[in-house]
Amino acid sequence: MQIHDDPRTDAELLAVVAESDRDALSVLYARHAPWLVLRLSRRCADPSVVDETVQDTFLAVWRSARKYSGQGEVAAWIWGIGVRRLIDTLRREPAATVMLTEPSRTEISAEEQVLLGVEYGDLAGALHTLSPELHAVVQATVLDGLTTREASRLLGIPAGTVKTRMMRARAALREELV
Amino acid sequence: MTTAPGTWHLDQTLVRRYVDAVTDAVTAASVESHLLRCAGCRQAIADESADPASVARRALIWEDVVDRLDAPRVGIIERLVHRLGIGAHDARLLAATPSLQVSWLASLLLVLGFAVAAAHGRDEAGALFLLAAPLIPVAGVAAAYGPDIDPAHELGIAAPYRTSRLLLLRCVSVLVASAGLAGCAALALPAAGWSQAAWLLPALGLTLTTLALSTRLSPVVSAAAVALTWVLVVVKLVQLDRTAELAGATAQAMFLALIVAAAAVVVVRHDQFDTRSAV
Repeated sequence: MQIHDDPRTDAELLAVVAESDRDALSVLYARHAPWLVLRLSRRCADPSVVDETVQDTFLAVWRSARKYSGQGEVAAWIWGIGVRRLIDTLRREPAATVMLTEPSRTEISAEEQVLLGVEYGDLAGALHTLSPELHAVVQATVLDGLTTREASRLLGIPAGTVKTRMMRARAALREELV
Repeated sequence: MTTAPGTWHLDQTLVRRYVDAVTDAVTAASVESHLLRCAGCRQAIADESADPASVARRALIWEDVVDRLDAPRVGIIERLVHRLGIGAHDARLLAATPSLQVSWLASLLLVLGFAVAAAHGRDEAGALFLLAAPLIPVAGVAAAYGPDIDPAHELGIAAPYRTSRLLLLRCVSVLVASAGLAGCAALALPAAGWSQAAWLLPALGLTLTTLALSTRLSPVVSAAAVALTWVLVVVKLVQLDRTAELAGATAQAMFLALIVAAAAVVVVRHDQFDTRSAV
């Protein structure tokens, strides 16, 4: 699988995938599977569920490449498919565990503080003050772009809880930022 | 690494920490939202997670993707049957039934449509429909199984699966599908009331008789014999202008008796399906 060699952009590759070009799909896979596996692994601790989700995602990319609007990042489109497939897989196998907290929490270096400051402004510091439960909800709804119902399936908590946690998170962030 | 907004990128340390999953939640979120719009940093992540284990894992996933691309797509009938609570294997067997194919069901609709249209054009409403409707499940059952018709017949013989179970599974589903279609068509008949349902017992009776005969003869021969008899009976009744009697109590009671007798034969002789399957 050559990642570097193919000069085509993701959108161009996707257009060819829509014409049932399997090589184009393999290039897309080589480009996007690494980060997708890592990002899904942060949301689901069960590697077999992650593997299955990645499979489902690229099958969906193959089948619905035609539906890509041509606007926006292909990576974001793939992530949108991936995270919803993860929810579907979790619904089929409810025994799978979901990470609510990070596997290991380490001190952040000063350098990262700067990076985060650039990326999010004061928001970064405020997000740090959230409890893991509230942060998981913010991550699912704001950063992953899920609906309340999807977030509730991903996190394994009732939709009402997602809403109340989101409200608490919002209040906490506002307090921290103002 | 630059610090101007919009040109922020992951540095090597952060890439390493993200791949090892030791970044805290906020940093990870920051990395992830950046990755969605930066091909360069995605590449950096890919290069960093190029250890043999990760590469092998992704290769395995890709192999499975290719396998599933090669696998035949599950047809609409198979999905429908599976949705109704039938196991995946039984659903596949049912979907392979020749007389459950979409083309077959479409031609059934056409036949029924003609019968209904003909009934509308004549006074003796329903005679033609009464002739056609019971034959439809008979034909369906004949085409559900057997060396002449089923393309998967030899596979079925080799499979560790009781032939009688396969046959009955298919016949029941064919019966449900075709009787359902005929039932819908009957509602479009001009005459209302009981005569609309008069075909139901003959249909069941003829189908079970076909099955009972199949314990001795091939399904196609049995169905042909049953259908021929039925046609002769109906034509004779039309000539005598006594078709209305088919919907009468006496005739319906006779069909009920036929159903019970044929069902008894099928139950007693169902082993014959298994022993005759090699024919």
